[in-house]
Formats: sequence, structure tokens, C-alpha cells
Amino acid sequence: MKSFRITASGIVQGVGFRPFVFRTALKSGVSGFVRNLSGSEVEIVIQGSQDSISKFFSLFFLNLPPQSRLEQITITPLEGDILQGFKILKSEKMRYEASQIPPDFSVCSECIREVLDPGNRRYRYPFNSCVNCGPRFSMMRKVPYDRENTAMVEFPLCDECAQEYNDPDNERRFDAQGISCPKCGPRLYIEDMRGNRLEGDPIKLAGKLLTEGKIIAIKGIGGFHIACDPFDDDVVLTLRARKGRPSKPFAVMSISSDIISNFAEINPLEKDILESPERPIVLLKKREDSPISKHVSPGLDREGFFLYYTPLHYMLLSEVKGNTLVMTSANRHGYPMCTTESCVKEKLSGIVDYMLYHDREIVNRVDDSVIKFAGNRLHILRRGRGYAPLWIRMKSKFKTPAIALGAELQNAGALMFDDKVILTQYVGDTDKLENLQEMEKMLNFLMSTYDVRPRVILVDKNPGYQTRYVANRLSEKFSAEIVEVQHHFAHALSVAADHGSDEGVAIAIDGVGYGDDGNAWGGEILLFTGSEYERSYHLKYVPYPGGDVNALRPRRMLAIFLSQVMTLEEAGKIAGLNENEVIMLRSSLRGNRIYTSSTGRFLDAVSAFLGVCDRRTYEGEPAIRLEASASNGKLLDLDIPVVGNEIDTLKAFEWLISEEGKVNDIALTVQYRLGEALAKAALKLNPQVILVSGGAAVNEYILRGLRENSEGIEVITPRRVPSNDGGIALGQAHYLLQRDRAN
Amino acid sequence: MELPDRKNVITLLHGAGGTYMHSLIRDVFLKLNDGFGEVGLEMMDDAAVVNGIVFTTDSFVIRPIFFRGGDIGRLSVSGTVNDIAMMGGDPQALSLGVVLEEGFPKDMLEKIVESIKKTAEEANVHVVTGDTKVMERGNLDKIVINTAGIGTRPRQLDHNIETLRKSRQPSRWLVPTNLRDGDKIVVTGTLGDHAIAVLSSREGVGFESNVMSDVAPLNKMIMNLLEVGGIADAKDPTRGGLADLLQDWSEKSGLGIFIRESDIPVKDEVRAAVEFLGMDVLELGNEGKAVLAVSPEYVKDVMDALHSDPLGKDATIIGEVRKDLEGVIMETVVGGNRYVGRPLGDPVPRIC
Ligand SMILES: [Fe+3]
Ligand SMILES: [Mg+2]
Ligand SMILES: [Zn+2]
Ligand SMILES: [Zn+2]
Repeated sequence: MKSFRITASGIVQGVGFRPFVFRTALKSGVSGFVRNLSGSEVEIVIQGSQDSISKFFSLFFLNLPPQSRLEQITITPLEGDILQGFKILKSEKMRYEASQIPPDFSVCSECIREVLDPGNRRYRYPFNSCVNCGPRFSMMRKVPYDRENTAMVEFPLCDECAQEYNDPDNERRFDAQGISCPKCGPRLYIEDMRGNRLEGDPIKLAGKLLTEGKIIAIKGIGGFHIACDPFDDDVVLTLRARKGRPSKPFAVMSISSDIISNFAEINPLEKDILESPERPIVLLKKREDSPISKHVSPGLDREGFFLYYTPLHYMLLSEVKGNTLVMTSANRHGYPMCTTESCVKEKLSGIVDYMLYHDREIVNRVDDSVIKFAGNRLHILRRGRGYAPLWIRMKSKFKTPAIALGAELQNAGALMFDDKVILTQYVGDTDKLENLQEMEKMLNFLMSTYDVRPRVILVDKNPGYQTRYVANRLSEKFSAEIVEVQHHFAHALSVAADHGSDEGVAIAIDGVGYGDDGNAWGGEILLFTGSEYERSYHLKYVPYPGGDVNALRPRRMLAIFLSQVMTLEEAGKIAGLNENEVIMLRSSLRGNRIYTSSTGRFLDAVSAFLGVCDRRTYEGEPAIRLEASASNGKLLDLDIPVVGNEIDTLKAFEWLISEEGKVNDIALTVQYRLGEALAKAALKLNPQVILVSGGAAVNEYILRGLRENSEGIEVITPRRVPSNDGGIALGQAHYLLQRDRAN
Repeated sequence: MELPDRKNVITLLHGAGGTYMHSLIRDVFLKLNDGFGEVGLEMMDDAAVVNGIVFTTDSFVIRPIFFRGGDIGRLSVSGTVNDIAMMGGDPQALSLGVVLEEGFPKDMLEKIVESIKKTAEEANVHVVTGDTKVMERGNLDKIVINTAGIGTRPRQLDHNIETLRKSRQPSRWLVPTNLRDGDKIVVTGTLGDHAIAVLSSREGVGFESNVMSDVAPLNKMIMNLLEVGGIADAKDPTRGGLADLLQDWSEKSGLGIFIRESDIPVKDEVRAAVEFLGMDVLELGNEGKAVLAVSPEYVKDVMDALHSDPLGKDATIIGEVRKDLEGVIMETVVGGNRYVGRPLGDPVPRIC
């Protein structure tokens, strides 16, 4: 007789790991037990003959459950009692190794098959799930992933479900924590905004109402969506008017990739991601002949598509024409997505006509993730459902646990300990208290899950960020040191962390971040070693009087750029400012003390100059539309020179004034040539690879300009985190690692 | 490019109200504090109280000297009078110190003195002592005026403090420690007028605007309000504006303050200019406005009294004191709430 203790960490809870171990034990004939530990790991004890033990191990490693990921496994021999049979024990409070919190998975194909089978007892059951699929993180109150720690605790198993749960032969439901059925599970309702419940099948009713052009809030996994008919201009415009959202694109959900291919081009990489269990929104190139209303993503050449990820979505999409719906996050402008019925009633009355909801609580808000392929490379624009809160492993260990608070817009925070960085899901703009509190709540959740106390709080250098308030609070609570990291260095380090480099050359092309000299940086080439860096090159400084107003008014920014190569009067005229605005701008410029090297503002100004976009109604809009306007453009002659340590963007404006070509050619040229100029400057530093990050690092044409002019040096962007500010927390984490190593 | 060393020399930021000025005062001037006075230096309030006398001083520099709706003379009387009134004092007498640049036109000086006289009459205070200095051309920009003032304790203040006793144990003066959960925050009129009027009057870069500075002595209005009662504290949002003022209140009272952006009165024209210039109306200085914390049971009467006074006709309730919150929080017009911190001096860009 031999005995072993095995502890497994990675993604081992919420993925059918214990039942898999149980079945493996029965097949191999070992006795013992398996149980979840509180650090999200699993402990297995087995006892048996040499033969049965080796059979256990070979079956174990061959057949691991599909959604599981084994990151660490420890096997230690045990002395001990003779164990009888094999049991799944209740979860234990202790932990040896921390393990992953399982993210939410889309419904699997077997579960959909059951829902479509009239003979199955789960026929048309909108919450069907099994050991391989369904919500996890979004309904978890704490670890370990046991039913009583999730929102499913409100729904005790009925006899039939209990039987499946206890039947080791039932591969998909044995010991599956989230299962339920029409008898015992959550229920679905539909009501109007006065609270009157509608009688009948809620999904069929919703389908009918949507077809009639109604707008409906729909409760999903990590929050509510707002759904409407994407083919009808009037309906989409009504939604825009009601939301006060003139042009921010809406996501579109469909029932299959085949159907989506009628609306957009899908390459094989994009298809894989679309159909993955993470089911992110993928920004696809629109087809010219797409029947989807042009108001869904006005002025853009891409549209965000995703596939259904719950049986509810599947059945609803089956009811509507084209099996496709607008599914945009349900929030009022400036507020986070609603996760409760009361939020919908309070914040969305006047926006939606009906609410389709269920009585399972959404514990953690998780937004849909967003992915874009540029130059056949994957860029995560928003890291939410399906990806968060999976951790990222670093090359070395943190000296002490720490917390990173990221930047401010499209923000995510992070907890770090051992060699792990756990980014929170995308929490949105933390200049809103609601989002700031959400981030703090998530960080508290992570701290208690992994039972760590941070000794360092990492923040952006910007003294005006609202995260400072959280930093002060946490620092007091944990007597933790507050450490500032420069914004673009953090951007640079977010790619460095992703690729495990501790030195190199990084280009940060971005909106605005607080510079070491108090100016608004945003087009920086940094040469770094460990936690030290040198700002080798940057976009030419231009005045930035009034700060943020220039981001909100691209024509003002344009006038400032132009005023550097002509009189302010002429500049104002070209930029379309009125006389009084020109005088006010002069007044601002006279007292100006702050300058910018922002790439975003440069792109904004070009966008305004070309008449592509002169109003910012969502983050990055002028620059995003400038990128879209370059579609099918061809490259013209333009040299943006590197003069001293500045990349002379003013040359682009001199060129723009004299150039009379087509808008798409000009738009493409400016973006491409900027990339070229950045490459030229970076090459002077003899890089091995060129790391690129920042909000503009997903721009197709800048990237092309960079890649085609880097003389064969590889150009690398972040893979696992957004290159926008959603990835800053990872860069901050990497900074701490480097700083502590140097000490 | 030359950049200010913000650590080791004094920059314009240190005089702008807000974070830099606060740390300068704390690090340098507070060393003078020896605990003297009923309300002393350590309170860092608008005025001090010594032996029952309210005492304060202020220096005035402004470009241009004459601006739409006022001038440096009116400003130097109003500023000091208001600081006394915000403590609950009744202003009596002022000193007047004038430092002039060589070459300053005499008729301009006479105009300024005329304006001082008129404003003093309006406020019913008396200039009783003074001093004049002239500096070499180029060593000073035209003119600097300093005024100091003293005020007595009016019976209206006694009455007001009496009315506060129903809901709290107040100090004898109008100070931030009087604030209590539930007190209403009132501003007595539109914000930002003074800053925009001054900017738009600037030579060479003056822009078109009809906005007039609000500069005015507020002592009579405050006295009427004390007669009504329920005033826990009053303070004028000068340099650093409403943002700095509320932060001060929150820190000194240990209570949270909640305000609604949509309720803050701002003239359309001011709003448009402020927006285009990239300024924050919460951080702009005002010279004829007060912010009040008012006990809720008196707020209706206080508002009525304000609305019948020309200086208070635009008065609005913008929020309340909340013990369940930390710091100053504002519900914004774009949606959501945010912390309102002390002004950082220069605008700090945050939009990526
Ligand atoms: Fe950034
Ligand atoms: Mg006071
Ligand atoms: Zn399934
Ligand atoms: Zn059941």
C-alpha cells in the first residue's frame, strides 16, 4: 500500500476537477479523498497498490477536464491510515498554494443541445449549465467555488438535479456546483418599466417586442445589456437619442459565425476567438453590403460582434429576425453597467421599454471583453468576462504583496503576490466614484480570497487621479508604502512584463499621462533598464493650455498645432474657431505653463483638420475615426523628421496645409509616417526588439509604419493586457518587481 | 525649455490657493503659531479672534487694476471686510498700505482711492490708518495694496449661536467645527464671475464678455442672516474657489460633504468661457460670494432672506454635510459622482 498527497493549483475549481478526480480514482481503484482548499486549489489524497496508483496518475494526466489549467502540482508521499473508498470531502479552509478564480464560460454545445431537445427535461431552460460551462466568477461571493459560496445558494437542488449531482457516472453534472433545472433553478420574467409583469413565455414575448422595434434591458451573466433591432435605423437612432450617446459604437450579438460573416469579414484567427468559451466582442471589418444599420457604429470601418454565451441569448436570438441583436452594456451615460433590477428601474427608465430579468444575483460586475486584430496580431482592448480575474505569472517573485491602482480611464487594478499579478476585470473610468468603489471592492475580494495584506500601493504619478483617494485609504489601512510610477513607463513595462524583458527600448504612444516634468506626455521613446529609464525621444512639445479641454475639443487642439507654424489668427480660421474663441485661446496661450507630447492629441488635431471628427463623445473617438477614415488609402510622400530629441510633428501640419489629395490617402499617410518616424528614432537606440504600448498602439497604420520601417527588428505589443490604460496596473507591477530586485 | 522647480523655489502655484499654497503655509508659516488667540493662527481661518476682536489682513495684486465690475480699490476693502464677516464679526476699521511702482499715474491712484472710499461707505467701515511706499520701476508691477481690518462681536452673532445650540454645541464664532451632519450647503450666488470678468478685461488678450466681477462687501448680508439664525459657518470662496473651501470644511470638521454639480449656479456666459479656457468653475476665485453651512430647520428662512437681498438673489442650496461620507463628493452633470479635491494649481490633464 502506498499513499500520496497531491495538491493542484491553476484553474482547478469550477471546472469539474473534483468529479474528474473522483472518477479517475474509481477507475484506477485507489481509495482516498478530494477536496477544494480555500486558496482556490484542490487537494487529493490517494492510497492503493503500486499498480492502481500508477494507473491513477496516467489517467489523471491524460484526461484533465477541458477548462482546467494545471499550473502547479505537488506530490508528497504520506504515512497513514488505511482509507476506505473514495470521497469528495467538504471544502477546507486551509491552503498550500494559491490557485485561480475560474472566469465565466460561455454555454457549451451539449447544454445548448439539451435546451433544444423537446424530450429533455431542460428543454427551453435558459440557465442550463454543466461542469464545463456557465457563469463562475460573476456569481462567486468567495472561494472556494462551492455552490454555497455562489449566488446559486438561493436555489437548492431538486431531487432530479441532486441525483445527477451525486452520480459519479454523470460526467457533466456529477459534483457540478452551478447546475439547476426548470424545477429548481432561477426564473425568468419580463416586465414593463412601470413594473407590470407580462404573462407568457418571457423569451418569446421579448423576441416579439424586439421585432416590433422595442428596446429591452436583458439580465445576463455579468450585467444587463440593452437589446434592440440592429437592422432598423429608426430603432438604433431612438436608442442613441434616449441614451444621449451620439456615436459610441454598439456591440452586435449573433447566433453563429456564419451569420456574422454576412455582416463582416472574419479571418480564421478572428473566428477562433469569436467561438472561444471566453466569447469576447471582436471588432471585425464591416462588409460594404452589410444590412446592419450604419448608426450602430457610425463613422467606423469595424463593428463589434460577439456570439451568444448563455442559453437565454441563444433562444432569444432564435426569435428575432436575422438572429442578431444590438447588445450594448446597460448603463446610463457616466454610470457603470447595471447589475440589478433596481438599477435598471432607477437609471434606465426612459431608455428601455421593458426588462427581461431573472432572480439569480450578479455578485461581480463583469463587462464583455473586446478584442481587435491589427496586422494579424491580437489586441485586447477590454479585459473582462472570460479573461478576468485570471492571473499573469511573472519571471520572479514579489518581495511583498502589493496593489496597483492603474491609471484613471478604462481602468483595472491589480493584486500581486508570489510571482502572480491578478488584474481585476475592466472596471471602467475610475474618475467616477461608482467605478472607483467597484475597483476597491474587487481588490478587497482578491485580498480576502488570497488572504494577503499589501505592503506597497502603486499609483500613477498623476496627482489629479481619483485613485489617489483609494491609495491613501489602503496605505493607511495596511501601513503600506505608496509608490508612484510614471504613466508611460508603466505602459512600456506592461509590454516588457508580457514578454519577460527587464531592459529595452519602448515606444509609448498614448493620449496623455503625467510627465516627470509636470507636462502632458504621450509620445515617448524610452530606453530602460530595470526600474530606471531615460526619455530618449518624444513628439515635439506644443503648448497645452487648459489641459483636458483640448482632448474634448479637437479643433482647439488643431488651432494650437497650427499656431506653431502660422499666426494664431490664421490657425484659428483654419481650425474653425470664432473670433472670440481665438482671443480666448490667445489668453490661454499667454499664461500657459504646460506642454504636451501626446500622440492622441496629434491624431485628434489631424482628424479635425480633415473634417473626419471634431467632437469627442467617447474616449479616443477622433483618433479612432481617423484610423477608420484611412481605409483603402494609399501612401503619399511625407517626412516627419527627428530633430534633436523631438519628433517634429509640426512638419505634418505644414504638409497638410498644402496637400490636396483624398482624405483616406492623407489620413493613412499621416498615421503611417508617424509610425515610420517613431521607428527611425527608436532604431537610433540599437534595440533588440521594439516594445510598443499606449492607447494608440492598436492603430493599424501606425503599427504598419513602425513594422515596415524597423529594419527587421521585431515590433511587439501587449498580448495579455490592453495596451490602453487597462494594462497600466501590470506595468506598475513589473516596476515594483524591478525596483525591489535592484535594491 | 525652462520648467519651474516646484520644490525649492516659490512659484506662482504657491499663491494660487490649493495644494501648493496649503503645504507652503503648513511648512513655513505655521511655525509662527504659538496658540495665542481665541481663534488663532493654527485654525488657518479667514480671520483671527483676539480679546473679542476679529482681526485679519490681506494683500491685493490684480491685473488689470480696473476690470469690468470693479477695481483693486473695491477689491481691497471687500476682501478684508468679508474675511471679518465670515467669522461672524462686524467690521469697524481698516488700515491701508499701498506700495506703488515708480511712474504710477497719480490720477489712477486717485481713482483707486475714490473707489476705496465708496466701498468703505457701502460696508460702513472706516479707513483709520495707512502707509505708502514707492519702489523702483520694474521692481513691482504697478501697485500692491494691503489692508488689515478689525471687527467687533455683534449681538446678531450671539443670537445665531443661540439658535445653533438646539442642534449642537457650537463655538462662539463661525468656524468649520460647527458643521453637523445634515447641514445644508448654500452658495449665495453665481460662481466664476470675478475670474472671468478679470480675464476678459486683460489688455491684449481680453475677450468679448458681459460678465461683471461680483466684488462686493458682504457684511450687511451676513449680518441679516445671523439675525435669522442657523448659520453654522460662512466662508468666502476666493482663491482656490469652492473646491478649496469645501475641502477645508471637510478636513476641519471631519465630516463628508456632498454637492450636486447641476445645482451650482453659474451664468451661461461664464460657463461657456470657463469651458473653452479649460478652467474648473469650482476652483475659480469669487469676491462677492459666500458659502454657508446652514442648520436644516433654518434653511428655508435663510434662503428667503437671501433671495430678498440683491447680493443673494441667485442663492442656491447645492448640497449637504454628510457624516457617512469621507471628503468632498460631487454628483456630476455627465453622470456619476467624483471626489472634489483641493485645486492642484495648474490644470492637471487626466483625459488620456
Ligand atoms: Fe495611457
Ligand atoms: Mg467662517
Ligand atoms: Zn454545458
Ligand atoms: Zn433541478
